[in-house]
Amino acid sequence: MADALVIKNLNKRFGGLHAVQDVSFTVRENETLALIGPNGAGKTTAFNLITGFYRPDTGSVSAFGREIVGLRPHDVCAFGLARTFQVAKPFGGMTVLANVMTGAFLRDRRPDAAREKAREAIDFVGLSARENAAARDLTSIDQRRLEMARALATQPRLLLLDEVMAGLNPAEIDQAVALVGKLSSRGLTIVIVEHLMRAIMAVAKHIIVLDHGQKIAEGSPKDVVENPEVIRAYLGSGYVHAPAGGTS
Amino acid sequence: MPNVGGWRFVVLGVVIAVMLVLPLVVKSSFAVDILIRVLLFSFIGSAWNLMGGYAKQLSLGHAAFFGLGAYTSTLLQIDFGISPWIGMVAGGFVALLASLPIGWLCFRLRGPYFTIATIATAQVLMLIFLKFRDFAWGAEGTTIPNLGHAPLMMQFETKAPYYYIVLGLLTIALLITARIERSRIGYYCVAIGEDEDAAEAIGVDAPSVKRQIYMISAFLTALAGTFYTQYIYFIDPQTAFNFNISIEAALVSIVGGVGTLWGPVIGTVLLETTSALLQSWLGNSIGGVQLTVYAVILMAVILWRPTGIMGYLAEVYARRRSKSLSLPAKA
Amino acid sequence: MLEILAQAVINGLLIGGIYALVSIGVTLIFGVVKIVNFAQGEFVMIGMYISFFLATQFGIDPIVSLAVSMPVLFVIGVLIQHFLIRRVLGLNDLPQIFLTFALSLLIVNLSLMLFTANYRTVHTWYSDEAFRVGGLYIPVAKLVAFVLAMILSGALWIFLHTTDLGKAMRAASQNRDVAQLMGINPNRVFAVALGIALALAGAAGSLLMPFYPAYPLVGQVFVLMAFVAVVLGTLGNVIGALIASLLMGVAESLGIQFIGADSGLIVVFMLLLITLALRPSGLAGGRRR
Repeated sequence: MADALVIKNLNKRFGGLHAVQDVSFTVRENETLALIGPNGAGKTTAFNLITGFYRPDTGSVSAFGREIVGLRPHDVCAFGLARTFQVAKPFGGMTVLANVMTGAFLRDRRPDAAREKAREAIDFVGLSARENAAARDLTSIDQRRLEMARALATQPRLLLLDEVMAGLNPAEIDQAVALVGKLSSRGLTIVIVEHLMRAIMAVAKHIIVLDHGQKIAEGSPKDVVENPEVIRAYLGSGYVHAPAGGTS
Repeated sequence: MPNVGGWRFVVLGVVIAVMLVLPLVVKSSFAVDILIRVLLFSFIGSAWNLMGGYAKQLSLGHAAFFGLGAYTSTLLQIDFGISPWIGMVAGGFVALLASLPIGWLCFRLRGPYFTIATIATAQVLMLIFLKFRDFAWGAEGTTIPNLGHAPLMMQFETKAPYYYIVLGLLTIALLITARIERSRIGYYCVAIGEDEDAAEAIGVDAPSVKRQIYMISAFLTALAGTFYTQYIYFIDPQTAFNFNISIEAALVSIVGGVGTLWGPVIGTVLLETTSALLQSWLGNSIGGVQLTVYAVILMAVILWRPTGIMGYLAEVYARRRSKSLSLPAKA
Repeated sequence: MLEILAQAVINGLLIGGIYALVSIGVTLIFGVVKIVNFAQGEFVMIGMYISFFLATQFGIDPIVSLAVSMPVLFVIGVLIQHFLIRRVLGLNDLPQIFLTFALSLLIVNLSLMLFTANYRTVHTWYSDEAFRVGGLYIPVAKLVAFVLAMILSGALWIFLHTTDLGKAMRAASQNRDVAQLMGINPNRVFAVALGIALALAGAAGSLLMPFYPAYPLVGQVFVLMAFVAVVLGTLGNVIGALIASLLMGVAESLGIQFIGADSGLIVVFMLLLITLALRPSGLAGGRRR
């Protein structure tokens, strides 16, 4: 398998805060990689650096063999990297279909073709029944589904999902996990930021742990949960015991 | 839906027919003048709406383009004898080109500061035309030489031809809007207006889309400038770059409903009718009445119906529809 | 030549003090409430008319009438926050921009109806007095206005830095959530911010009255100056707005002196456009990154 995304020595400071410190990792094509870590660990910042929303101070991001630092977000998307946002950003006044069509227009400027592609993506995430609803009227889980459909409609090779499962109930999490699995089986490379260990264990074979902007561990789910560094990073939040219960 | 679409064409046909025969029936020159004003501001409002309504780039500087259009055609006509018909298109292109540097400056700011920057650019243009008298008659302005009946020079002895010209302009603007609404750039504009970051994330080149829609909007606004100058036979910087033009362009769209095809038309009909009624009751003696009423209407719309009249109608329609046919249950 | 330059600078600084009162109000409202008040200039105008009527009806000196114009405008500010601005908070740009814009239109045109477009002036015993320092000419009325403007700005700065309410305002302007955590009622903080900002505008109006005519559109000059100053001085920053206002006064005065009487505003707008061109993302309201 080839490398989909190669991140080398990424750095970003905001004033005195070193949000991302010398982070390097590689995502192989068709794998699902999870980026985890306590709040403020730099996960979302890393997403913003990869997708062109922030410019790294130093370091390189190369996707499918090409350096993408310096590209603007829409160019990054056109290059095949689509993302969702931690707080869903639907185009509230537009219908679900129009939202997703806006994404589909990236690959085909004809409205009819875009509508067809959009319907496929909407169907894929299971939102077909709400196609004509205004995006602002959707429930929070449906808004995240919508955002995934919109990203999918841009026909990405690599999908970056930022906490798509936060705040969902267990049944909804199972649905979301199934959805991510389905995406992966379609050949998509996925980078997922998530808090819920149970969900991560179910979707990712490869985990990167960030803490205070630094990579403190990397490996299989089992390696990571047993890593003393990781336990220390999570200790105090009572989080360290969650994985054991969650994975069974 | 197809049923509704059929009715829509019937209504549209009737509206077009009425608009075409109206000047033949209405003989009062005061009334035709009001009709022309309604069509003119519907047109300017539609031009503003493309950028301010769909892409939510809230400009209060569209007088810049109105003035550039007016001055371009007038300069060409008086200095070179070129017909305003050609001057009108030339003015459109001057405004289109001017929108590039103006946009380059103003789009660096977001929200209210974008709005302020657009005001500043229109003011600077006005001050430049006031200041440089040898260039374009300075503050005194100039009258357009009256050639009597000269259709090729966009001059007519009755008001009806002016009516048809501006009706034509409005039709063009509405057709362009309808076309944009259904095309990629229309979706992109609305997406940018809703959330620029989210739009960028799905591949929308926001600066480029904003630039494009600004060019179209500027071009159309400039056509109105030429028309207005030909209609009143006079030009000076205070008229051509008048802040009230920028205000009314935004106002009619907001009251009617931003980001809707018919919003600016509906808004203009409401505001201009109100203003005409006020004028016939109170006369022109008291300054400020018209804008006072506009301000009250604008505030009322913002506080109670932020989606404007069209938005309100859409809500009512949706409510009635959801009552009559219950929505399919979620899978 | 040097004398002319010095005189122009002094004229600019003196009027810049008045601009500062208006800009600080705009920046305070933007910082705390996150709204740009397009009507700020109109409250200067109201302050001027208050002083004008007190002077012509009761013979009260405009400077003394500060004691009336400031409290009256404070109350107006609180009412505007309560009845208008509160209702558009959290909505998108359009209602936020056009609400205060409509307010500005309304006040200007109501004033046109009530007071007509005529210029109103108040002549005080010190209106024509001036100090002469060397070859320089310093009008008393403008000097008094400048000094009082600086005192009021200083008082506001002390208020923002020493009182709980002032600290709450600064916190709110930096981070809404922090202010919430401090257990501060945002509505009260917002109302006081509006009140103070409008009181400052009213003060500017009263201070202008001895040497500047009142007319319904007078506020537009000041609000445009304030917007430019606030953008130059970075939004939400009181000291920045103060310094930028003084600079703008000087720039305008130099424009009038060296380019022509009607060029003051051109210079200021040019300054704004040049700043926009040179400092794209540093400006608040610009793109983060």
